[in-house]
Amino acid sequence: MMTLLAEAAVEQAGILETITKTFGLNVPFFIAQVINFFLVIFILKKFAFGPIQEMLGQRRARIAEGEAKLTQIQQQLAESEKTTAAAIAKANEDAARLINEARTSAAALSEQKAQEAISSAQQILAKAEAAAKAERAAIAAELKKEFGRLVTATTTQVTGKILTSDDQARINQEALATVER
Amino acid sequence: MTRRSIFSILFTWLCCVAPAVAAEGGEHHALPLDAQRLSETLPLTNSMIMVWIAVGLIVLFCRIATKKMTLVPAGVQNFAEWAVESLYEFLEGLMGKHLASRTFWFFGSIFFFILTSNYLGLIPGVGTVGFNLNDAEGHKVGFLPWLRGANADINMTAAMAFSFATLWFYWAVTESGIKAFLAHIFAPKGTFKGIMLAMMVPIFLFVGVLEIISIAIRPVALTFRLFGNIYGGEQTLESLMALVPEKIAFLPALPFYFMELLVGFVQALVFTLLCAIFLKLICDHGDHAEGEHH
Repeated sequence: MMTLLAEAAVEQAGILETITKTFGLNVPFFIAQVINFFLVIFILKKFAFGPIQEMLGQRRARIAEGEAKLTQIQQQLAESEKTTAAAIAKANEDAARLINEARTSAAALSEQKAQEAISSAQQILAKAEAAAKAERAAIAAELKKEFGRLVTATTTQVTGKILTSDDQARINQEALATVER
Repeated sequence: MTRRSIFSILFTWLCCVAPAVAAEGGEHHALPLDAQRLSETLPLTNSMIMVWIAVGLIVLFCRIATKKMTLVPAGVQNFAEWAVESLYEFLEGLMGKHLASRTFWFFGSIFFFILTSNYLGLIPGVGTVGFNLNDAEGHKVGFLPWLRGANADINMTAAMAFSFATLWFYWAVTESGIKAFLAHIFAPKGTFKGIMLAMMVPIFLFVGVLEIISIAIRPVALTFRLFGNIYGGEQTLESLMALVPEKIAFLPALPFYFMELLVGFVQALVFTLLCAIFLKLICDHGDHAEGEHH
């Protein structure tokens, strides 16, 4: 068993040696290439991808910031719309209330003015009536006076007698009583 | 027979016959399997030169792209950002936000490095321009190209794969702890009680051993997959060019250049993708590693 394993190990070593020889795989070159490779990676990271990734990172951050701002603006817009809608609703409500108040006030004022107009008209009418009455009384007095004078003059001419004051007064009263009737 | 059919048949013939003829073909600059040493004292190969050329080009491109950075990108900056961001988003979709942000430095580097190296290996002159090696009497004994595709050197692909394997272990342990890591490999998946649990424990222990073998094979598979595809592609191009007279040597290889451009991209993506999936599988305790074996 051990012999078989040893033979297999020798065979494997032989195959490995053949492969490494055929393909030119050798330890110093391999180590040199590993060092080379890590240097390559370091240089590429430092001088090639570093600045590009930094810029990409900046852009991503800027885009994220922009998106955050956009969300904030959208929120603010929504809030603003909400506030505006509330303000408009309140303004509508106030306007409706003011219109109602104005209507009520206008109706009251109209009523008041109408009453004042009526009262004023009534006063004017009363004054006119009073004036007419006074004028009528004055005219009546004038008429009475004229009528009395005419009656006295007529009586004096008809009777040829000079009438006393009492007679004049009595004749006037009788004549006036007849006219007023 | 339409012109398109004739072209298709000719193309297929070239694909099938060219490698066979190339194999029989006499003298041409067949790409050797191993990278050539350039210095007697230092472990420096012609593929390492290509590694640094690739890195230099990537850094140069990124420096140009980021010279005048603006928040609204345009031109080269726009292209560079598009490339980096696309890869980042792709990895983020695959591994999740946390893992992608933690490991992008590695995955981004290997993807762009492999891609650039693969494309640089296709530039005419890479692997074919160099100097002859002569013996003391002046006879040609070999050819040493100055440059070689970085991923056509197995030491490079192995370095990347085994470096990833080390980082994979580190990330797996730091993400979930050693206990969860071992449980992920050995613990029974599902809810078992009583006798079922007793029966399942040895089975899952055995499955765990298989899993460890699978994990150990991964970097080897990654190494040989990338090396094989890139070396094979370059070798195919060289063989095709050797088929015809030198003046028209580019002609049979021309269609394959387009394929190699695709292969270069696909291999970069496959290497990155597999590494990302391996990491995701070990860090994701909700899923079981069923589809990870290749």
